[in-house]
Amino acid sequence: MEAIWEGFREAIRLIATGDPELREIALRTVVVSGSATLLAMMVGVPTGYALARGRFPGRTLALGVVNTGMGVPPVVAGLVVWLLLVRSGPFGEMELIYTKRAMVIAQFLISLPLVVGFTTAAVQALPRELPDLLAVLGAGRLRTLWLIAREAQIGILAAVIAGFGSVISEVGASMTVGGNLRGETRVLTTAIVTETSRGQNANAMALGLLLTWVQQRRVR
Amino acid sequence: MGAAAPGPVNDIRCEQLRFARGRQLVLDIPALRFAQGRVTALVGPNGSGKSTLLRLISALERPTAGRVLIDGNAVTPKLVREAVAYAFQAPVFVTGSVASNLDLALRLRHVPAAERESRIREAAAACGIEPLLHRDARRLSGGESQRANLARALALRAPVTLLDEPLAGLDAPGRRQLLHDLPRLLRQFASTTIVVTHDRDEALRLADEMVVLIGGRVRAAGSRAGVFARPPDAATARFLGYTIIPTKDGGVVAIAPRVLRAAPGDVPFVMDVEDVLDLGIRREAWGTIAGVQVSVSLPPGEGELPPRIEVSAPTGAVLRFEAGGEL
Repeated sequence: MEAIWEGFREAIRLIATGDPELREIALRTVVVSGSATLLAMMVGVPTGYALARGRFPGRTLALGVVNTGMGVPPVVAGLVVWLLLVRSGPFGEMELIYTKRAMVIAQFLISLPLVVGFTTAAVQALPRELPDLLAVLGAGRLRTLWLIAREAQIGILAAVIAGFGSVISEVGASMTVGGNLRGETRVLTTAIVTETSRGQNANAMALGLLLTWVQQRRVR
Repeated sequence: MGAAAPGPVNDIRCEQLRFARGRQLVLDIPALRFAQGRVTALVGPNGSGKSTLLRLISALERPTAGRVLIDGNAVTPKLVREAVAYAFQAPVFVTGSVASNLDLALRLRHVPAAERESRIREAAAACGIEPLLHRDARRLSGGESQRANLARALALRAPVTLLDEPLAGLDAPGRRQLLHDLPRLLRQFASTTIVVTHDRDEALRLADEMVVLIGGRVRAAGSRAGVFARPPDAATARFLGYTIIPTKDGGVVAIAPRVLRAAPGDVPFVMDVEDVLDLGIRREAWGTIAGVQVSVSLPPGEGELPPRIEVSAPTGAVLRFEAGGEL
C-alpha cells in the first residue's frame, strides 16, 4: 500500500513539474489519436449518413461489416495493418511501419466503424421525413447533409467521442504497428506497459493519470 | 400586409404514370389532371397510393414509367423548389423556434431577408400561431404543430400546394376549428392545391374537385358534386360513404351517404345505379323510414340501361341507410 501511495505522490510531482518526456508522450498521443479520429469523422459521418438514408445494393452487407468492425479487437486491426505495411507486405515500400503514420492508419481503422455505426444510429433516429422536407424546400445535397448533421449533432458527437475514446486507450495496435519506439512512436498506453514492466510504478501511474485526464477532456 | 398573391396558376398532369415498389405496382394512372387554381381532394382508403402520388408530384420519388407535369414541364427537384409547397402528414421541424423553422423554409427558397419576416408574421397570424412563433417547434402539441406545419407551407406562397392529411392527429375541437379555417387559408395563400385525406367529410368541406384513388388506380375524378353523386363502382361508392345493399341476384345497390340533410334544392336526390340489372328490392323494405319516398324506375328494355332510384325526403330530414338485413 505504501508503494502505491509513494508512486502516486511521485506521479503527481512528475506531472506538476512538467516532465519533458511525459509531456512529449502525451502530446504525441493526442496528435496521433486526434488525427485518426478526425480522419474517421471525415469519412465516417458521411458514410453513416449514407447507410442510414440510402437504399442501395450492398447496404445490408455494409451495415454488417460496420457492426462487426465495431467489435474487432484493436490488436487484430493492428495486425492487419502490420501485415500490409511490414517491409515484405504489399505496401512495405512505403516504409510506414513503426511510424506515427502507421499508428494513425491503424487507429483510423479501429475508430471508423464506431463513428459510422453511431452516426448511422443517430441519423436513423431522426424523423424519416426530414430529408424529404429539406429536399422539397430546396436544400442542396451539402446543405441537407449539414442540416441533418446539425439535427443529429448529439449522436454524432457521441460517435466522435466513442471513436476517440477507443483509439486513445488502445495499446495492442499501437504497439504492433508503432513499435513503441522511445521518442518516436511511444504513446501513453504503450509507455504505461513499458514503465510497468520496468518496475517504474511512479512513471506508469503518472502516465495513467495523464491518459485518464486526456480521455476525460474529450467529453468537454 | 399585402404580400403578393401566389404566382401564375399551374395545372398538374399525370401521363401514363406508373410507380412500382419491387414487383408491386403501387400506382397506375394513365391520365389525370389537377385543375389549375382549384382545390382538389385526393381521397381514398389507407394504402391506396395517395401519399405516393404527392411524392411523385414533388419529385421525392421517380416514376417507374410515365411522367408528372406542372404547367407542362416535367417535375424535377429544381421545378419543385420553384413551384411546390408540401406539408407532410407528420409535421417535422428542425431544432429551433417555430419562427426559425418558417424562416429556414423561406431562406431555402431564396426569399429576400426583408420579405421573410412579414411573410412569417402574415402566415402565422392567418394560421393562428403568432403566440407560438418563439416556442420550441419540437415541443408543440399535435394541433399546434399541424398549424405550424401548415403555416410553413402557406408562407411559401407556392403555385402548387400539397397538403397530406392536414387534419391528422388533431383532437375533435382542433380538427373542427382547422377544418373551418382551411378553406379561407387556401384562398388567401394557395393556388393549385391538392389535399390528401381519407375522410370524405374533409374532402367535401375543403375541395372543389375530387379524385378517388383506390388500389393505386383513379376510380373517379371531377367536380366534387359530380364524383359524389355518381360513384362509378361499388368500391368507390362504399368509400364515399354510400351504403352498399346486396340484391337477391348478387348485384348491389348503392345508397348515398347521410343521404341529404334535405334542404330546398337537395331533394329529390337522384342517383343512377350502374351494374345492377335487376334491383330485386322489396319496396316495403323502405317503409320503415318515415316520410321518405323511394321510387325505382327501370328503363325500358329490361335493364339494358341502369335503373334509377329516386329518393325524396322532407326538408331537414336526415336519412341513414344501413347495409345488410332482409331486403
